[in-house]
Amino acid sequence: MAEWNAYYRNEDDEEEQEEGEQSGGEYKVTGRDSLVFLVDASKEMFIKEEDGKPSNFDMTMQVVRSVYTSKITSSYRDLVALVFYGTEQSKNPRNSFKHVYVYHDLDEPGAKRVQEVDELRGSKGAQLAAKTMGSGETSLGDALWCCANLYSDIKLRLSHKRLMIFTCRDDPHEGDSVKDRQGRTKASDLRDTGVIINLMHLMKPGGFDVSLYFRDIITPPEDESDLGLQLEPCAKLEDLQNRVRAKEKKKRVLNRLNLCLGEGINVAVGVYSTAVPARKPPPIKLYRETNEPVRSKTRVFHTQTGSLLLPSELKKAQVYGKKQIVMETDEVDSIKKFEDPGMFLIGFKPMEKLKLHHHVRPAVFLYPEEDDVKGSSCLFSALLKRCSERNMFALCRFTARRNYSPRFVALVPQEEESDEGKGQITPAGFNVIYLPFADDIRTLDAPQLPCASQEQVDKMKQIVTKLRFKYRSDAFENPAIQQHFRNLEALALDMVAPEDIEDLIMPKVDQIDTRLGPLVQEFKDLVYPANYNPETKPAAKRKTADNGGGAEKKPKVELPEDELRAHVQNSTLGKLTVPVLKDACKKFGVRTTGTKKQELIDALIAQLSS
Amino acid sequence: MDVGFSMSNSAPGEEPPFELAKKVIQKFVQRQVFAETKDEMALVLFGTDSTKNPLEQDGQYQNITVHRNLMIPDFELLEEIANQIHPESQQADWLDALVVCMDLLKKQTEGKKYDRLVIVLLTDLCTQASPDELDIIIDNLKTAGITLQFFLPFPAGDDEEGGGDGDRGGSGHPGAGKGLSREQEQGLDMVKHVMLSLDEEDGLDEIYSFRNALEQLCMFKRIERRPTAWPCQLTIGSSLSIRIVGYKAVMDERLKKTWITVDAQTNKRDDVKRETVYCLDDDNETEVQKEDIIQGFRYGSDIVPFSKVDQDQMKYKHDGKCFAVLGFTKQSNIHRHQFIGNQVIKVFAPKDDEHAGVALSALIRALDELNMVAIVRYAYDRRCNPQVGAAFPCIKQHYECLMYIQLPFMEDLSHFTFPSLENKKFVPTEAQLSAVDSLIDSMMLVEKDESGEQKDMLKVHHIPNPAFQRHFQCLHHRAVNPGTPLPPMEPWLKAALERPEVISERCQAPLEEVKRKFPLTAVEKKKQLKTSAQIFGKDTGEPDAKKAKGDEEEEDYNLADIAEGSVTSVRTRVIVFIFFCLVVVTPVSFPVCQQLTHRIEQLLSNKNTHYYMKSITCIQAFREQSVKLGKADLYNSYLQSLKRSIPNRGLEVFWDLLVQDAVTLISKDEVEGSTVSKNEANQFLITDEKKEEVAAPTTEDTGDVDDLLDMM
Repeated sequence: MAEWNAYYRNEDDEEEQEEGEQSGGEYKVTGRDSLVFLVDASKEMFIKEEDGKPSNFDMTMQVVRSVYTSKITSSYRDLVALVFYGTEQSKNPRNSFKHVYVYHDLDEPGAKRVQEVDELRGSKGAQLAAKTMGSGETSLGDALWCCANLYSDIKLRLSHKRLMIFTCRDDPHEGDSVKDRQGRTKASDLRDTGVIINLMHLMKPGGFDVSLYFRDIITPPEDESDLGLQLEPCAKLEDLQNRVRAKEKKKRVLNRLNLCLGEGINVAVGVYSTAVPARKPPPIKLYRETNEPVRSKTRVFHTQTGSLLLPSELKKAQVYGKKQIVMETDEVDSIKKFEDPGMFLIGFKPMEKLKLHHHVRPAVFLYPEEDDVKGSSCLFSALLKRCSERNMFALCRFTARRNYSPRFVALVPQEEESDEGKGQITPAGFNVIYLPFADDIRTLDAPQLPCASQEQVDKMKQIVTKLRFKYRSDAFENPAIQQHFRNLEALALDMVAPEDIEDLIMPKVDQIDTRLGPLVQEFKDLVYPANYNPETKPAAKRKTADNGGGAEKKPKVELPEDELRAHVQNSTLGKLTVPVLKDACKKFGVRTTGTKKQELIDALIAQLSS
Repeated sequence: MDVGFSMSNSAPGEEPPFELAKKVIQKFVQRQVFAETKDEMALVLFGTDSTKNPLEQDGQYQNITVHRNLMIPDFELLEEIANQIHPESQQADWLDALVVCMDLLKKQTEGKKYDRLVIVLLTDLCTQASPDELDIIIDNLKTAGITLQFFLPFPAGDDEEGGGDGDRGGSGHPGAGKGLSREQEQGLDMVKHVMLSLDEEDGLDEIYSFRNALEQLCMFKRIERRPTAWPCQLTIGSSLSIRIVGYKAVMDERLKKTWITVDAQTNKRDDVKRETVYCLDDDNETEVQKEDIIQGFRYGSDIVPFSKVDQDQMKYKHDGKCFAVLGFTKQSNIHRHQFIGNQVIKVFAPKDDEHAGVALSALIRALDELNMVAIVRYAYDRRCNPQVGAAFPCIKQHYECLMYIQLPFMEDLSHFTFPSLENKKFVPTEAQLSAVDSLIDSMMLVEKDESGEQKDMLKVHHIPNPAFQRHFQCLHHRAVNPGTPLPPMEPWLKAALERPEVISERCQAPLEEVKRKFPLTAVEKKKQLKTSAQIFGKDTGEPDAKKAKGDEEEEDYNLADIAEGSVTSVRTRVIVFIFFCLVVVTPVSFPVCQQLTHRIEQLLSNKNTHYYMKSITCIQAFREQSVKLGKADLYNSYLQSLKRSIPNRGLEVFWDLLVQDAVTLISKDEVEGSTVSKNEANQFLITDEKKEEVAAPTTEDTGDVDDLLDMM
């Protein structure tokens, strides 16, 4: 345990970055999320575009695959199903529905399923689909009923149920009013059980008319005011992917609390996190023989008597100034507590007072919760509007959770933005920027160096202009995480080697060089003297390496025991360097679990002062 | 510290200088202990009854005691100060004491590295000092590079209070008004002479009064970390590189120490042992040896065994340390709220490399002039995964640098959509907006002062982290007063987290106005949703009138759930009834209407005359209540949109029924606020396509609600 922890900390906690109370926080999970893809398998879906664009069916499969893999990487406990309707063949749990083909029933997505979806992609996929399922009559009612059964067959508690219909036919039953009605009834039954039905309508010659039929099937949009507003059908894979991605994850509120403007003026708000560093999931311990997961049990007992210790028989302590200070466990908690969770308005400042470098944590997003306090949206909206128009931010004191100490935050207004297809790019609300305390700002001695001349600056400007691009925040994938999952995928699917990943954050050196051409040399001539080589260290510092005979490191500093004891006595161990401390640990047979300086010091003190 | 007899003299009701000086030392040591600085400290007392110092000889340097040699301060020292240091009855020359201190510093710092040598003198200057060797002492102080600080019971200069540093002023100085004794005045002159000869300009700044010092020492030291340099090269393409050094400039700081678990009885850490065992997830909980455990990872529903060795071999590898430019982009493309990570790194050129300085300066200025940033790949070292981030240009008066902040990967982002706030329900009125405006005006934290300069009333980055302050306060209390409950929070800390007083006074009236203009009602949530039958009586349609009229908010809430569809088979008549009850108690609000219209739409989707009739009943009820309450717009806009959708949805039959029943728009004649004239209302029922001349009947009331209910 200790080993593994140490190992992973070493790898993941870059430069001792501790993630203690990252704003990402844990969600309260009360059940599983579920998502059913209900895909039209009619002939129309397989029609290939003339310009070589993928068919609607192909596009859908790509999206399904990407949702599968993203669920695997980010929320593997969610349940996903893939159901086709309008098929010739039928396959469903009790085979009670014709022309409905349950390809995957509701379950956690795994490697095999990804493979199976892959098989449906491209022209081969279309052939396979035709062979196994075919295209036949359509009854949306049956399909929805079948999906309802999928949900009801699940014994787990489902917290969020969503069904996405992918189709390019706006009038699936071609005027058959009985079927139409049946579909409507079933859709309404599904909605009654809390399933949210979305339509991912695809390109259809002549345009897709949602109002023709599907308007009555889908769950009305959250935003009641624009019932009439309908999205354009998706023509591009990217659009479809974005649209699915936006819906696929449940918007989870980190917590709900009050934004208090003053005595008795509480606006209910929800806190959402929109950018949280994704991490590699932790490893699971398995039993070597069977590969089954093992559970760990931790026991705390008394070293001398061997009896188990109850939490009440334990206390907490810290050592300062050579003195151990002991507190009760609940006292430790009470020290952390300042006030109940909430936000308290302190005042307003103009935006230019928000310094770029005052960044200590990823921001969170604030949106009113009309359901908690009626009238919140109106006041929130008024604040947002005026702050935005007057270019102000609101300064607040923010206690995110129980037993969290307060931090100051800036509420920065963000106005709603939509793309041409009426899809929301940014929602309206406040971004909550965490501000640093005095402790978080370090004093640096900035070196005094000469400034560049305008000629030099202008040359660099040419370089900068040559290498312009439009940054998009979702343009870069994390190569480390991608590689990890490719490795797992390869192992899970018995592939010979993992698929190659493209490291998107690697500079495209060749392209840069070509684009810049002679500019680099011109700039170097302007700023560097002829004999200057920035790749090497300055001469003075290289001497040791030059005549020292290569890899020889600094001679080891052996610390005599009495000196070490003196350091322990005077609590001056902190003055020693980590390598010296490590050596000392080795010498005195002190076993250490960590590599941090403080841990080494603690271990040495424990050993030598007793 | 002077412990001589004059130090315990004080005017009645005032603390003697001795006590104040002792407090200053205590606070100072406490701060050092909890900041865990490596600073060492010695304590020399003068005016002691006995004499104990290395210089004592031939009756010289008498009544001076070296209490503690140069060491890192700890609780032992604090306890000694609390218990062993008392006012004594002798007097000693403070210049002699200074010499003893200088000697101590010289001898005990031998072979040690140090940044600064400081001697702090706490005295009331009541003893005659012999100025004979003053110049030699000053020379020696200068050569040894020792800084002096004086703490006196009175302020040093007349001008200290008024001038310059705003932070320093404070409560009155007892004793300041009283005339100083002749010795004190002489002493003060000597102190000033010494200080000014050591530092011609700011010498007097290092003379403090006890009171001021105590005020400033009340907070625990902020966590200070020595910045570690991260040397690297900034690269653009393959052939342009600039030597740089990065330093963490802003970092979400945490306490260095964590709590250890000890046995409650013995308070010993070693008495507690923690052991983790592993077992299979079977009925017997069969234990598994640690050696038999391997690691695996989840890939969706599959668990893939993946040993550490394999993982290491296959994991993403890179070339280590790097700060490589991927390209440049407009600053406006970078969104502040997408900053990730918990630090800001400032990037300089190495201080001994002016060529790198010029090259980096060219980049910084170019970016600044173009309003652009560099997007870079940043890797701290080989063990750490690389990041993508933005390097912003930063030009200050005394230096230039790049500021690196991490940006998100695609995996880190979640795109949520939220309902638009441009919603009729929520759009604030002009009156409401102006209430918010005056609130903002009254709560501006940045204001121009008389000289036209902007003044920020609350710089939060100057406030120490309250969590650390409180933590140390409690630890300190427990260490010094064991067995007593933890103290309340320090008042100054509480005040630092509140609105500045000026603001809270000024914003009272605007806040009241906001309170009046924006009604806010907390919604009490019911634990479990009941079925419609439970809420409204059996499905017989017999409404439970009491319930419906009981609590409007609760009612609203339940209704909302019905519309969401968690209750099945709510009959239309029930819906209409609830609607009716609701509008009796609350004005026709948008959500209520929304639910009703939603239901109407549902009914209409079943193209059947029976359902059409029900829809019309609903619409009539809607109209009825809207007229009663004098609110026409919601109803009118719904009916208009319904009419527009008739041809598309093939609801002509329904429309004819509606026309027969003469359910039209609410006109001005009925409701004042309506924008529809009577004529328009009459014309409304004539569909454009058919051009049928339907004689529009008068838009009189279509009967009682009771009748409506009977019709169902």
